[in-house]
Amino acid sequence: MKEALTTYIKKEILNSPDTQLTDQDDLLGSGLVDSMGLMRIITFIEEEFGITVPPTDMVIEHFMNIEAISNYVAGRQTTDG
Amino acid sequence: MYLLQHSILNSANRYPDNEAFRCGDKALTYKALTAQSYQLAHLLIELGVQRGDRIGIYLNRCLETAVAVYGIMSAGAAFVPLDPSAPPARTQFVIQDCGIKHLISNKNQEKNLKKILTQNLGIKSIISPFGGNDTTVISPFEGGWGEDFTAFCDNLNIRTSIQKKIQKLPHTNPNIRTLEDDLAYIMYTSGTTGTPKGIMHTHRSGLAYAKLSADLYDVQPTDRLGNHAALHFDISTMGYFTMPYASGTTVIIPDIHTKLPASMAQLIVKERLTIWYSVPLALTQLLQPGIVDKCDFSAIRWVLYGGEPFPVKHLRTLIEVIPNACFSNVYGPAEVNQCTYYHFSNLSEKDTTIPLGKVWGNTEILIYNENNEPVKTNETGELLVRSATQMKGYWGRPDLTEKGFYKRQRIDGCEEVFYRTGDLVKMCEQGNLHFLGRKDRQVKIRGHRVELDEVEAVLTAHEAVGEVAVFAIKNEDEAHIKAVVNLKKDIEESTLKSYLVTLLPGYAIPNHIKFVDEIPRTTAGKIDYKTLKL
Repeated sequence: MKEALTTYIKKEILNSPDTQLTDQDDLLGSGLVDSMGLMRIITFIEEEFGITVPPTDMVIEHFMNIEAISNYVAGRQTTDG
Repeated sequence: MYLLQHSILNSANRYPDNEAFRCGDKALTYKALTAQSYQLAHLLIELGVQRGDRIGIYLNRCLETAVAVYGIMSAGAAFVPLDPSAPPARTQFVIQDCGIKHLISNKNQEKNLKKILTQNLGIKSIISPFGGNDTTVISPFEGGWGEDFTAFCDNLNIRTSIQKKIQKLPHTNPNIRTLEDDLAYIMYTSGTTGTPKGIMHTHRSGLAYAKLSADLYDVQPTDRLGNHAALHFDISTMGYFTMPYASGTTVIIPDIHTKLPASMAQLIVKERLTIWYSVPLALTQLLQPGIVDKCDFSAIRWVLYGGEPFPVKHLRTLIEVIPNACFSNVYGPAEVNQCTYYHFSNLSEKDTTIPLGKVWGNTEILIYNENNEPVKTNETGELLVRSATQMKGYWGRPDLTEKGFYKRQRIDGCEEVFYRTGDLVKMCEQGNLHFLGRKDRQVKIRGHRVELDEVEAVLTAHEAVGEVAVFAIKNEDEAHIKAVVNLKKDIEESTLKSYLVTLLPGYAIPNHIKFVDEIPRTTAGKIDYKTLKL
């Protein structure tokens, strides 16, 4: 799951598939991803992993890096399923 | 009081322990801000900075920006905010256009800085505002650079380690002889020919704005403003100039919170904000389901918004969510900062648009037709503004400055200089100004100014592109930029977009590029934008 996410972010959001991006890299605070980019990531995870992301879940704790997003998605998959 | 930095000195004398700026869990009192600004100023002076020099601030939303702004001005120089999310080519242009030799930045920007320093731009030093030994700082800064970055800069003869000296420099006012007519800051905005232009503001125009807005909104030392805008956007002047003038607190909303509405809502409540100022989008984000359900926004007494019109249906919902606030529609091109206001606490069924309202103090307007004659009530004309808050001109562009101003001599020997806004307005019988659109090809995307001609110029410059037409489609909520391209050589839409990303800010990129065999033209030979928009 992390791999699909990492690939998507590098290709579609950063527009450079060859960038180095770790699970812990700060996506939001560092300016790597802007608000439009975040919306697109959310759409991607909803479609790709079959979950819904309510606006109340759009908090720092769930989206700050790939590790956090991945944990959040896994959590949602168990509740939605 | 005639310089912007007199505000923090004054506030430090009267309310030394009031929080001047807060970001996250760190804050600076007026006493600490003044001391650290002066230390930075002394360092800049030691580096050879002269009155009138331009110093770049390359920072995202953080506490260091406050020290950077006041430190640079205290050295007699002008600050130039640089947007870390702008493509490197754009930042490189501004650095060279402005003759910037020193940058204020921090560790978070090391990656971005490396991307900018790929060519010799004449930068001599990059400084991170460093916490002094002043114990009134609530949390010390984490200053300093990584070893990697220091080595990178050493190779380019750019000094970074100089800042270790900051802690030992005096906390006293360097007292550089600066006049109110001298440059305080330059903000760059979209130009029509493909390169941005720098709007020059003086201490006079900055302080005039601070005084007028502090007065209009009755700002108190107990007020806490939520500052959403980044420094390179003129909406940030309320946080950086007005609040310090009134000795209030500016809460800098961190970048992360601007992207996550649920977190931002929690922050607004936690910080007990009393005033909010942002583009409409920042507020409408809060209206998504569930976000404000458990939030108590009753402390907010003013909600200011600007940059573009607010969709009325969202305003209605917002009014219910922030029950104690008076709303203020703030209008003013960056060239004059603010010039009108319209206050309201509720909306009737009949209200479909919000007027620009009344002209504020120390400001005069004209509504002129194409022949530079005043129009009658309810007639449409171009808005011209003369204000204490207006810019000095465009940096290095006397041609654009000349075109941008209208000069009038009603009294012999006294020239009155008006700025041509390019906005079409009318005055109604109630004495309110109403916005009717643009005279030209400028649009607002999420509050940011975009010259459609700039986007065309950048596209045309690509070797695969023959002819281009760029236009905007507006629906109720927002505008979208579309491009129609006639190619000389085959290319993918994604490749062309990647090219644009290197030169234009994200909001200026067309969301769709259509390839056509021919661009429709009118009988006069001009691009037929009307047909394209269908």
